[in-house]
Amino acid sequence: MTLPGTRHSLIVRLNKQHQPSWFEFAAVYEPFLMSLVRRCGVPEKDSQDVVQHIMIAVTKSLDSWSDDGRPESFRRWLNIVSRNVAIKFMQAERKLHAASGGTDMVAVLNRVPLDDNAFAEEQQKQYQHELIVWAAHQVKSEFMESSWQAFHDTMIQQRSVEEVAKELNVTAGSIYMSRSRILARIRKKLEVLQPLE
Amino acid sequence: MSVLKHNCDPDLLKQSLSEQLSEQAEERLIAHLDECKSCRQQLETLAGAPKDWSTIEEALKEERYADTLQWSDISGSENPIPTDFAVDFLLPSEQADSIGRLDDIEIHSVIGHGGNGIVLKGYQAELKRLVAVKVMAPALAASAAARQRFAREAQATAAVVHPNVMPILTVHSDGSLPYLVMPFVDCESLQQRIDGSGSLSVLDVLRIAHQVASGLAAAHAQGLVHRDVKPANILLEKRINRVMLTDFGLARAADDASLTRTGLIAGTPSYMSPEQARGDVVDARSDLFSLGSVMYAMATGRPPFRAETVYGILRRVTDETPRPAHQVNAEIPLWLSALIARFQHANPDHRISDSETAAELLQECLAHEQQPAAFELPITVRQMQAEAGRKKLLQKMVPYFTMPYLLIAVLLVTVSVLVLKPDINAEPANEAATASANWESDAQGGTLPTGTPESIETASDAASERSESTEVPGPKISASESDPVSDPSEIAEASEAAEVPNTNGNIQLGITQPGITQLGITQPGNTQPSNTQFDWGDDVSDDLDSLDFELQILDMQLNDINGPSQL
Repeated sequence: MTLPGTRHSLIVRLNKQHQPSWFEFAAVYEPFLMSLVRRCGVPEKDSQDVVQHIMIAVTKSLDSWSDDGRPESFRRWLNIVSRNVAIKFMQAERKLHAASGGTDMVAVLNRVPLDDNAFAEEQQKQYQHELIVWAAHQVKSEFMESSWQAFHDTMIQQRSVEEVAKELNVTAGSIYMSRSRILARIRKKLEVLQPLE
Repeated sequence: MSVLKHNCDPDLLKQSLSEQLSEQAEERLIAHLDECKSCRQQLETLAGAPKDWSTIEEALKEERYADTLQWSDISGSENPIPTDFAVDFLLPSEQADSIGRLDDIEIHSVIGHGGNGIVLKGYQAELKRLVAVKVMAPALAASAAARQRFAREAQATAAVVHPNVMPILTVHSDGSLPYLVMPFVDCESLQQRIDGSGSLSVLDVLRIAHQVASGLAAAHAQGLVHRDVKPANILLEKRINRVMLTDFGLARAADDASLTRTGLIAGTPSYMSPEQARGDVVDARSDLFSLGSVMYAMATGRPPFRAETVYGILRRVTDETPRPAHQVNAEIPLWLSALIARFQHANPDHRISDSETAAELLQECLAHEQQPAAFELPITVRQMQAEAGRKKLLQKMVPYFTMPYLLIAVLLVTVSVLVLKPDINAEPANEAATASANWESDAQGGTLPTGTPESIETASDAASERSESTEVPGPKISASESDPVSDPSEIAEASEAAEVPNTNGNIQLGITQPGITQLGITQPGNTQPSNTQFDWGDDVSDDLDSLDFELQILDMQLNDINGPSQL
């Protein structure tokens, strides 16, 4: 959205049939990166630049894509590449923080597991976590406050539906409805970016 | 009882998830969910597999404990504490009771705030008057285009001089934050009134609507379209019965800055006209639709179009007709309900032609309501009432005059079968049958055309709805009993799954030449050079479309002033 240059080079590079997939992906991935970059501690004024760099890194790797003949090949590949690039960014940010030697350096080091595989797994989990939190935030602003409240209180705070219904002065049925709608929306947001298992 | 009346229908659940149901259907379904555990479970499964529910739940729980601080500012959609910026903005004051100074105005307190900015209460010592100052939000002030528009629209509004339009005393658009100065009026917004006391009396509905229409007429006469007529923008002066329309077109100032924000949907488009919700060009008649929606909210205590999400509301605004006001609040007379519906006609050509006519009409209605003996209802309103009355009557009549026909038809069939079988009295029986058949068709021909074509449609719709709802329970139950294997939802899912390759066909380039790709002889990207030609046109126009839509939403969202706003 903010990268007409990237878009143009992509359009040249991308097979026409993959353009819609790319645009759909980029429209979701870019705002996600924006939030990820901020949450990793990049100052507001630099975040736009950092996001551009990550986007460019993803588009550069578009060259290496080849069809594996299975359904959704392009999309699966895109989601994995974007995840790897994002994880690389998170690693770099972590190192930067560690090198600067803040008070929480020990905490950062403690968090890094010894085993490489375990490390990769932890990072993928972290990425997944970031995705869900981001998607939930996006969805939150789409819904009425009371609907989100119902979802939050019953799902995250684990309170009973009856109790929350009474408090919010709504019926239990409407809470079930809101909850399912919100979850379905979060899943839909995730679908575009989540690498398929 | 309601469990029986409302069947467990997986299609209905699916539609409800994507907000495709009408308001009534949704209400029925929610009532059903209250009681039906299996439908609740089915709905949750449709929304996501148990694994999805648990992963999302865990991630959000973890987030709650980890860093709640960032929870609120990550999406960028929430404003920081809105009064903060005002402190930096004001100059120190020498007055003890002042929180700061803004040019020649001593600021005393914060009246309210919203997405657009903040409203302050101040005092102009030289002119010895209390004023309300609306300061543009810093996020908006950063955009030069937004500032320009703010100034332009404010100047246009300042030119509208009318007792029912909040005057603008001065506009300062060149400082660090642009601001407007208005007289300070002790008031509450119509939104606050409705929130506090629910629906208003018929007299109040007419009184307020009449004054809003008069204010609109003054603006429309200058070619100014408000675009955001809603209860929050209608101020009710305390003690006296004056109504003032405010925030004229200021929403337009918001959308330029919004270009930088993306994916942001909030606020309520409940009072938008359908053409506005679609993003079409709007004219003064769009304001009249919104005024109708405001009247509806006053009459019933709730906005005419409600849904859980902005998307849901927009869909209702464009696709649905609200339930008539007299059906929501029995105290609303049919003529008022019909008048509101006329304001809210989906087709602008069928609404009341202009705001001046509307104001006159409302004034006559007001006179009638105050002194029914001295003033008759205006003839146009009586016509609307008569039309609505016919519809209502016809709808009521449907069960009465369809049932006998069904009975007669059944009787006719049985009689003719019984009578014809012996073949002895064939001729007279046939005559009798044709005679009664003629009578039936005459009766039909005689009754139906009395209504308007529209009302006939409604009647037959209602009839088919009724017959549907009576037929549903039988077959459903027997189907599930006799054939437990063929679960309709499974079938639907299976057919959906079968369709997936088609919808994503464009991605599966390799499939058209499976042999080649599998052998790895060619790279699919290179096999068809013609495909590498690109097409700017569609993508660009798609982007513009979605941008337009976003602007549309932001337009009203950023204008959403909460609290006791002056603007």
